[in-house]
Amino acid sequence: MDLNFSKEDLEFRDEVREFLDKEYPKHIKEKMNNGDELSREEIVDWHKAVAKKGWMGHSWPVEHGGTGWDATKVYIYLRELALAGCPTFVPFGLQMVAPVIWTFGSEEQKKKFLPRILNFDDWWCQGYSEPGSGSDLASLKCKAVREGDEYVLNGQKTWTTLGQHADWIFVLVRTDDSGKKQEGITFILVDMKTPGIEVKPIITIDGDHEVNEVWFDNVRVPAENVVGEEGQGWTYAKFLLFHERSSIAGAPNMRRVLNSLKIKAKNTYHTDKPLSEDKNFLSKIAQFELDLDALEMTELRGLSAMREGKSPGAESSLLKIKGTELQQRISTLAVEMAGHEGMPYGGPYGFSDVEVAASKSDQISAPKYLNFRKVTIYGGTNEIQKNIIAKAVLGI
Amino acid sequence: MNLSYTDEQNLLRDSVSKFCGSDYDFETRMKSVNSDQGHNPEHWKLFAELGWLAIPFSEELGGLDGGDVDLSLMFEEFGKSIVVEPYLANVILSGGVLKRSDLENKAEIIEQLVTGEKQVSLANYEPQKGFNLDSVDCEISDEGNVTGLKTTVLNASNADFFLVFGKHGSGHAFALISKETNGLKLTPYKTYDGFVSGDLHIENCKADAIFSKSDALEILKKTILEGIVCVSSEAIGAMETCYKLTIEYTQQREQFGQSLSKFQALQHRMVDMFMETEFSKSFLLKVLATDDENERTKLIYGLKNQVAKAGKYVGEEAVQLHGGMGVTEEMSVGHYLKRLLVITNLFGSADYFLDKYIES
Repeated sequence: MDLNFSKEDLEFRDEVREFLDKEYPKHIKEKMNNGDELSREEIVDWHKAVAKKGWMGHSWPVEHGGTGWDATKVYIYLRELALAGCPTFVPFGLQMVAPVIWTFGSEEQKKKFLPRILNFDDWWCQGYSEPGSGSDLASLKCKAVREGDEYVLNGQKTWTTLGQHADWIFVLVRTDDSGKKQEGITFILVDMKTPGIEVKPIITIDGDHEVNEVWFDNVRVPAENVVGEEGQGWTYAKFLLFHERSSIAGAPNMRRVLNSLKIKAKNTYHTDKPLSEDKNFLSKIAQFELDLDALEMTELRGLSAMREGKSPGAESSLLKIKGTELQQRISTLAVEMAGHEGMPYGGPYGFSDVEVAASKSDQISAPKYLNFRKVTIYGGTNEIQKNIIAKAVLGI
Repeated sequence: MNLSYTDEQNLLRDSVSKFCGSDYDFETRMKSVNSDQGHNPEHWKLFAELGWLAIPFSEELGGLDGGDVDLSLMFEEFGKSIVVEPYLANVILSGGVLKRSDLENKAEIIEQLVTGEKQVSLANYEPQKGFNLDSVDCEISDEGNVTGLKTTVLNASNADFFLVFGKHGSGHAFALISKETNGLKLTPYKTYDGFVSGDLHIENCKADAIFSKSDALEILKKTILEGIVCVSSEAIGAMETCYKLTIEYTQQREQFGQSLSKFQALQHRMVDMFMETEFSKSFLLKVLATDDENERTKLIYGLKNQVAKAGKYVGEEAVQLHGGMGVTEEMSVGHYLKRLLVITNLFGSADYFLDKYIES
């Protein structure tokens, strides 16, 4: 056991830094540092830059175009990206549907979709939750009826993140409602350009448009787009959720936010001495740091198990719970630091055309905090994660 | 010892509660929030007619001689419906400074305030200057010229007058500045809870009057203390609605073939929300029932610390237990969280007031 990086690891780290130095588009970097909103094009440009370097498949098997890095390298890579303030990867293709396709999909599906995901030619989104099926996902009702070589989809999905930008959606549909609710669910891939699909925005309490309702009205989908077997979708859905949960802890990103708050504290005054000399503040920072260390090591344990060929299992729920709790804690700390200067609201990304006295980071502290209320809800609420751990890990 | 309200106080509570219940559903509130003024002028007029705007002023000033208990129960009712009408900015903060001041024509301004004719905003906080009330750069000269930058001036864009707190000689003073004054520039904005606010740029402005040169800081302190009691009461009202909304939602939302409210893990969470609300109420009563001024001041610091934590906790839990719906703009519960978060940070953080409690 050893926490030190080898010479090779350090060289790799320098390689990542060099890549970021040269290839991380400057205009995106500037916007990210400033907390501005990225356009669809800018998000695509960032992914394309990484794809060109061949580094999109950091969590993929080599045979599908993955990098084949060991856990240490993946860790170094993601940490360097986060510390440089890069946008997080849109996970729906890369980390969610891709593992389902390479594990359960047909050869044709692998050939058709995986290279395009790896190159970010297609933007994917997720059709899981429904208004009546959130925590109890298996009760979903969105219907698909087979007609010849096609399925006809009718129903509604919700909470579809960035669905407004998507080219493809993976959808859980009900193809049979005669048996248990977990049976009769099918996993199907749908082109967002298919007639009959409507995307309606949902505005969240931070004022942002990130999530959507997706409506299906007699949407005809080729039967070849079903992944695996009809009626076995629940198995694939759960497999995907484990992958989703293992990727949302976000420790490296929190490390960056933590560092920026520490720097900011030197020039933030609630009283006549800066927050960096305030005992209450320092103890909050220290406690956060300790929890973050523990989270990071838990994440590393998972990564290292994945490298040994184990699929992320129910343990990913631990990461999801702790990671999201910490994300909320640090966003709370930012609001607290801002004090009344965090109150002026210029939209989810701050003021764009009005000059206000509060700093940009103060302006976006509350919208960020409000946006981060979602993290303990999405990907399966933290309450559901605890049920999973109790049942699948503790065996009670 | 007597912890019950008088008949008069109960009447006032009923009247505010009736208004909130019949004229202030969530949709109406959001209409007011989304309007330019950020509140409904008809409501403001009604508040004046009902005498609510006159409550904390003495009879000589045309007021009703009401006390903290009256204000507190009123704000608790406001909080239940997260009322956006600018009572705090006008009556408590500006009114609080005016009534304690030596401003010559204060009776006249208070009369205009009480009738709803004019609105007044207090401008004391400055960027990067923290929560200490005497931490200001704004300068008020002997000749009555004022220069400075004030931030999060509550209800700023509706104000006809500003009460600007600044340095004067070796001490402090207030300057009365009307909105048309040369050199005064307002950058209006809304705060994330939907209230109207703004930055006030004051560039060598000629004040209409300079007042309370000997005790401005003391007046400001007393006024903010009263403000804390009011917003804490408001938070408690909002917390009560939060746990009630959550109970209602979890009773009606079904997952896994039963109401969410049947799950014991969630029941315990709602019990905790309820308990936080009740203990906050108790602490508030302790403040209201304490006469000794020093002791009361110390307890108000404690109250702000308690309510800041409890309010944020209850608001967050309410959103969490509403699931995805909780984070949508269309559900009311998220708006309660926003107001609770503003109250948590208004006048100073929980940590700040804990330190004040320890120091006093």
